[in-house]
Amino acid sequence: MNNYEHTLIMKQDLQENKVKTFINKYIDIINNNSGKVIKTENWGLKNFSHKIKNNKKGFYFHIKFEGIGKTIEELEKAENIDQMLIRYLTVRVKEHDLKNEYFEKKEI
Amino acid sequence: MKRKKNFKKKRKNTKHSKLSLFQKSDIKLSRSCPLSGKNAPVIDYKNIKLLKKYISESGRILPSRVSSVSFKKQRELANSIKRARLLALI
Repeated sequence: MNNYEHTLIMKQDLQENKVKTFINKYIDIINNNSGKVIKTENWGLKNFSHKIKNNKKGFYFHIKFEGIGKTIEELEKAENIDQMLIRYLTVRVKEHDLKNEYFEKKEI
Repeated sequence: MKRKKNFKKKRKNTKHSKLSLFQKSDIKLSRSCPLSGKNAPVIDYKNIKLLKKYISESGRILPSRVSSVSFKKQRELANSIKRARLLALI
């Protein structure tokens, strides 16, 4: 099993109370494809440093999980189709650091 | 005349003037890397406060000869700056 960090950026049109239901869709994909979610962080609405596809703001969400190559394959396949997503980033790490939180956490 | 004398004294006192090729200088010429060693901060694409120290005003990555970061850490740093750019954090 490998450790991954995944960050999603959603469009501003999405209402803040709908973020959780939107994210649950992807958490289910991870859990169904031999993965396991360890930690989730909600960074909330943030300003971009530069425009992305004419968007100035976006909702950030961060997921730490364990999984295999197939988990990410299925996850990114679903994300490529999604129109509410602006960007995503997957990073493989050796160990999860659960101590440091660089952004203020916002509960949904 | 007084000025000239003072000037000569100053020159003798500097440690650089008498160095031969094989002599080691007492002065440290190079600073040590600020990101390696004990208690060094963790380089991470989420740690924007740290990354902002190592980019110029226009957002370019500073060369390691300016910031005196070691080669290994500079590679890590450049990688995480590019990741932060992708997420529009920097």
